[in-house]
Amino acid sequence: MKRVGLQLLLIVFLFCGTWFILSRVDWMSLLSVEKTSKKTEEKLGDFYWSVLKKTEIEIHSDSVVSVLDTLLNRICIKNGIKVATIKLHLVQKNEINAFALPNRHLVVYSGLINACENESELCGILGHEIAHMERNHIMKKLVKEVGLSALLSLTAGNAGSEIAKKTIRLLSSSAYDRKLETEADLLSADYLIKAGIDPESFANFLYRFGIESNHLPDQLSWISTHPDSEERAKEIVSYIKDKEIQKRPVLSNREWNLLKAIAVDVPEK
Amino acid sequence: MITEHTFSYVPGEHETEKASNSYLMSLVALIAGLPLPIINLLAAGMFYLGNRKGTYFVRWHCTQALLAQCSLLIMNSTGFWWSISIIFGDKAISSKYIAYLITAFLFNLVEFIATIYTAIHTRKGIHVEWWFYGGLTNLICKAE
Repeated sequence: MKRVGLQLLLIVFLFCGTWFILSRVDWMSLLSVEKTSKKTEEKLGDFYWSVLKKTEIEIHSDSVVSVLDTLLNRICIKNGIKVATIKLHLVQKNEINAFALPNRHLVVYSGLINACENESELCGILGHEIAHMERNHIMKKLVKEVGLSALLSLTAGNAGSEIAKKTIRLLSSSAYDRKLETEADLLSADYLIKAGIDPESFANFLYRFGIESNHLPDQLSWISTHPDSEERAKEIVSYIKDKEIQKRPVLSNREWNLLKAIAVDVPEK
Repeated sequence: MITEHTFSYVPGEHETEKASNSYLMSLVALIAGLPLPIINLLAAGMFYLGNRKGTYFVRWHCTQALLAQCSLLIMNSTGFWWSISIIFGDKAISSKYIAYLITAFLFNLVEFIATIYTAIHTRKGIHVEWWFYGGLTNLICKAE
């Protein structure tokens, strides 16, 4: 009995020892795992954006995009996020929506800017989408919902544009699971605090549209596809309750008004 | 790791065939059930139950084959659910994960070779005891 016990211990030791020694090797670099997945994400993101671009109007006006960039810069720089890697696209559409595509494409609809009462609300949503990017939620969701083989065939150009459109719809009009949404909400709150922006406004936005979405389901895409908005708002408020926030405005009134005005003015396709 | 012993009696032709089949059963199940490790255990378990009233030699080898499958089940299930949590969950691929897969593959390979070797020798009537599993089988399986 003792001998058998000793032999079992030796087998366990042999297994763990082999695993330990092998895990000293940097397999990720050796097998180029990160490089390959990065390449797939790059191809996928650029492909999705090229498909989306055909059906939407992108606002290229420097005065508007630069204002939006100012908000993005404040969040990213204060949180050590490489802002240059984020590809911001402002799209003319009445829908209240913003979403992230693979390869750090961030799509913001003008309807969302129009619906925000102040810069902090908009920053909260931008922060939420950046959090999805930073935590790699986008690729995870795609692999989970679409499947790895379908994604690889998309990057190889073997899949039709219909599949591409379906997966874009998946990213733009359906939420991540509740756990990932909460993670993105709280991370966004952290980003805002570090950037000197009031995260309570983000919670207010969720709360306000959480109630209104019952009456306007078609336009409030971001809210209607992110269920339990009121619950999420409460979670954010309780998360920031004891945190010290040194608020500093990002935009002047003139810049904010300019952003809102142009978001309304440009006609839709 | 594998030692040849003299069994308490000389097994007959039908016994060596059945005993050898217990290893082949787990081998076939290993190939068929690679993505789902529980299949191997179920196959070996069913064969064991079918032969638990067999002769001592047959019972002994069915038990050894079943026990070997149990440890494989733990090892392969860990790898299986780790992979699932990477594909569908929050976990990310890491060097530790790849090292685990390689380790599990090496242990599966050793088991695979040992199974073929034992199946051939058992068919010839040679009693083969595996390191640890042989000793454990001796404790569990007694002559009536």
